[in-house]
Order: sequence, then C-alpha cells, then structure tokens
Amino acid sequence: MEKLYKFLKYTFIILWTVFIVAPFLWAISTSFKDFQSVNSKVTYIPWLDFEPTLEGWRVLIKSPARGGVDIVEPYFNSLFVTCTASLISIVLGTLAAYALSRFTFKAGFVRNNDITFFFISQRIMPPIVLSIPFFIFLSTIGLLDSLIGLVVVYIVLLMPIAVWIMVDFFNRVPKELDETALIDGCNPYQAFYKVVLPNSIPGLIVAGMFCIIFGWIDFFFAFILTFTEVQLLPVKVVALNSSITPWWSLSASALISVAPLIIVAFVVERYLSKGNLSGALK
Amino acid sequence: MAKIDLSNISHTYNPKDLEPTYALNPFSMTWENGKRYAILGPSGCGKTTMLNIVSGLIKPTQGRILFDNDDVTSQKTETRNISQVFQFPVIYNTMSVYDNLAFPLKCRDFEKNKIEERVQSVSETLNLSSFLNMPARKLTADQKQLISLGRGLVREDVAAVLMDEPLTVIDPDLKFRLRRNLKEINEEYKTTLVYVTHDQNEAMTFADNIIVMDQGEIVQVGLPKDLFERPKTTFVGYFIGSPAMNLFESQLHTDNSVKINDTTIKTNTNLSKLKNDNIKLGIRSEFVKVAKDESENLVEVNIQKIEDFGNFKLLTTKMGQLTIKSKINREIEIANDKVKLHFPPEKCCVYQNNKLI
Repeated sequence: MEKLYKFLKYTFIILWTVFIVAPFLWAISTSFKDFQSVNSKVTYIPWLDFEPTLEGWRVLIKSPARGGVDIVEPYFNSLFVTCTASLISIVLGTLAAYALSRFTFKAGFVRNNDITFFFISQRIMPPIVLSIPFFIFLSTIGLLDSLIGLVVVYIVLLMPIAVWIMVDFFNRVPKELDETALIDGCNPYQAFYKVVLPNSIPGLIVAGMFCIIFGWIDFFFAFILTFTEVQLLPVKVVALNSSITPWWSLSASALISVAPLIIVAFVVERYLSKGNLSGALK
Repeated sequence: MAKIDLSNISHTYNPKDLEPTYALNPFSMTWENGKRYAILGPSGCGKTTMLNIVSGLIKPTQGRILFDNDDVTSQKTETRNISQVFQFPVIYNTMSVYDNLAFPLKCRDFEKNKIEERVQSVSETLNLSSFLNMPARKLTADQKQLISLGRGLVREDVAAVLMDEPLTVIDPDLKFRLRRNLKEINEEYKTTLVYVTHDQNEAMTFADNIIVMDQGEIVQVGLPKDLFERPKTTFVGYFIGSPAMNLFESQLHTDNSVKINDTTIKTNTNLSKLKNDNIKLGIRSEFVKVAKDESENLVEVNIQKIEDFGNFKLLTTKMGQLTIKSKINREIEIANDKVKLHFPPEKCCVYQNNKLI
C-alpha cells in the first residue's frame, strides 16, 4: 500500500514537473533555431536535429535601423515602472493597512471593513471600464505616453493588492506587540517601524511579490496608455508578431521577460526555507 | 517606584450608547510604593481593563490616575514609565534574546554599560543567560514568556510592574520559583508589583494585598487572611478557598443566632438591627469540625462522600437539602453514616443581601 502511494506520488510529481518544465525547454530550444529549423519539420536536439544559431537573440538587441527590434529599452522601462510603482504601492499600502488594522474609523455608515473593501473594489472592475477614465485623466494632466503616467496608473492597480494582503497580515499580528513596544518606551511611529514592521517582513515580501508580478505582466494598460514615446516589454513582445511569426526571437523575448520573475521566486523561496519568515509570529 | 492613586476611575467601552455598560464601575484605590498587589477575579471582571488604564493603553471614561501625586491621566503610555507583562508571550521575533531584554533600556537611551549590567542581572534571575545570543523566536513558549517578564523587570526605576496572568504558560515547577524570584525582586528593589490572576493560590502566596473583583466592581481589598476568614461578600467566600465557603439560606433567630432549617447556630455577630430578609450564614469548610464534646452549634448530617486528599479528608454531607463540606484531619475515622458537625461561632459569617454583617 505504502509502495503504491509512493509510486503514485512520484508519478504525479514527475508528470507535473514535465508539464511545467517542458514549455520552457521548448522555448529555449526554439530560441536557438532559425527559420528553416522551425518551419520545415519538427526538430528537437541542437547539433543533431538542427544547427543552433544566436540570431533569435541578436535581433532583440539590434536597433530597428539595422533590422532588429530592440527590446532593451522597453525592458528597462518595464523594470522602472514595475519597481517604482510596486515600491510606492507597498509603502503607501502598508501604512494604510496598518491604520486600517489598528485604528477604528467611522464616517457615516462607513467602517474599517468598508474602506478595505473600497480598496479591493478597484480591482473588481474589468480593466476596460477603467481604461477610458485613465486615458482622459492622463491626457488632461499631460502624462499620456510617459513613464510617470504609467507609474501613477500602476500604483492605482497595485496598491489595493498591497492593502489587502497587509491588512490581513497586520490583523494577525497581536495588538499586544504594539502595546508592549509603547510600554517599552517607543512612540507609536517607532513602535511601527522598530517592532511591527520587522515582524511583518513575510507579509511585505508576499505583497511585494504580487505587486511585481501584476505590474510586470500587465499588457492592457501599457498598450492603451502608450504610443510611440514609451513602450513596455509586454507590448513590445506582442509587437514582434508580424506576418511571418519569428518564433525564435519570440521565444527568446519570452524567456528574458520571465527571467526576473523566476529570480524573484528563487530568492523568496530561499529566504522562506531558511525559516526566517515562517512561524515568525506565534 | 511610585505611589499610584486611582481616583474615582470608571470605564466603559461604549460611552456613546444610551445605556453604556461599564467594564469598571467607579472606584478609588491607592497602591503603596514597593508593595505587592494581586488582582483576583473571574474572566471578564475588569482586571485587564484596570491594568490597561494604569499603563495608559486605555484612557478611563472617568477619573484620574496619579503617580506620586502627579496627574498622568492624559499622559501617553510611552512616557508613563510603567512596565507591563501580558498573559501570552509577546516577543520581538526579529531580535535576539539579548536585544529583546535590552529594548526597553535602548528606547530610553540608557548607557551601554548600564544596559549590559541590567540585562545580565535579569537574565540570571530568569535563567536566560545561556540563551542571550539566540534569536528569540527559536525559544519555547515558556522561555518566550520569561523574555516578556524580563523586559518588564529590566528597568529598575519603573513606577510599577503590571503583570497580566504572566505565568499561565509556565510549568508549575518554574512557576513556583519565579513567584519567589518576583518576591525577591520586589523586596530588593522595592518595585511595586501588580499581579493579575484568576488563581487564588497564586494570589494568596504572592501578594501583600489582594484586590478581589467581580463584574467590574471591586468587592474586597485586604490581606489574604481577611479574605479567607471574613469574606466581605458571598462572592468572595465562594470565589476564594477550595472548596468554596459553605453558604446556607437562614432565618434570624435571636440577637446573635440564626436558624438553618430547625437548627440554631450561634454567631459572634450582633444581629439585632437586621431585618429577617435574605440572610445567609457562611462558614469555611476548614472550620467545620466533627463534634467531640461541644454542646451547641451542632448540626446533624448524613455523610454522602469522603474523599482522601492525602493531607486532609473532605467530607461531603447533607442536612436535608443542604450540602455541607468539611475539611477534616485525615486521621479521623468516620464509622457511621450519620455524624454531628460543629460550627465554631467565631468562624460563622452572617450575610444580608450577600454582604457581610
């Protein structure tokens, strides 16, 4: 019985791993192929089935004037917008969440939970509903087709995630922790950044991860709110697709756009498994 | 180290309601410098509210708090110079044990040498010396609570150390030793200690003075002996002592005696001015004895149960519908089902409307 269980367990794990890893392997192999190797017949193994070439990768850093597509600039644009918007969202979101978790607000029938729901409700609407107001808003303040404009919009999109995760997290941090800090002689601000915040690193990391993921993968707003001046990575990758799909450079660009998320995942995973985060509050 | 005056304090958590319910009814009290107080009462009786008012975590709805005659009612917690230990361990997970203990001193800008000295001293008292460099989160629950306690004790100059059932999670052996340590600390540094508990033994063995609370009301303040022998209300009689005080519905009989069913019991209390309404007689099971040659205050009872606790026997007996419990010497052998019990008059307490006469 135990053997059967073990067998089933490992079979499942192997199948799952294949399911996850295969597309990556396929993308990696495709990124080194040329037109011939992709379109003539199915090829798998470099040097045996096909002759690997770096053309797919080279195109990505060549300027358009020399026949390339240059995703370097959109790449850094995306990095800048995602990191800046995530950072600001985390800072503001954490402060808002702390206030919502620790103080009682009353305004007419509005209570803390309603305010928290208001934040989250910003994510309930389909993005298309928000696109027109955002467009008009950015064009009015002259930030359409600019990095700053995108940062502003992304803060609106990411802050609800930060607030939502952090409210829940702070609610699970016992109030006595803040009170003890006050008794030990901290003022409320010191209690927050010396005691509560260091204890909330797991929550901050989770919130940060979500913000980075949602910011990095957004295509819709990056597409609607930019034209020629500024382009973000997802828009540029999609734009690669022309009458003849360049599968090799598309694969290469897909791989490097996933790379930052994989790095984030590995770093966080390591940190988590060190036990620094798990069980920090008991 | 300070005298703490609580003057006409009361508190409600819903002050805006038409009929607010009070967690603490108005009271005044003084905590003398350097004494040990225990606040005793069932859950939800307002003990923690009282502590939080003193430490400033809660602003009382009404009344003033004075530390050495200085009004601190509107002072914030961090400026009150008080320390408080909660029921469950509260530690700073991201810091080492040493940093946890040093935190209250660092926040108040103590010198490094002084911090070192105090942390060493407290960690020795609490057996934490060998853990000082460990991350605090790696310790067990009771060691964590020792850290909480240590943070409470690390400052010598505090007005008072408030402890909210601090030893709940600690195992009995260590509990006993820690209570003794707390006593020693109190005697050495003359720190005022206030100790909230619902365990009467803890309160009795720890405190100079016990404050008994019930439903937001302070029902009795006194020495352990007074609370035991002369409980001011039937609640105190019931709450303190194990088993609880024997209480019987009774009728006034003469100026100093009452009747339970048909049995006359003499007391040392003058009952001449009382109305015959809601009278109860109370006597501790420790004072109810098997009669030898006494001629009065005798009650004939049927034995229901005899339990041997090792150091004493507990008799559970019935007189009609009434249950009477008696702690007797374990050498005494009871042969019959029926026995006569003696109520010493000086140990009988008479209550009207549940208040001691």
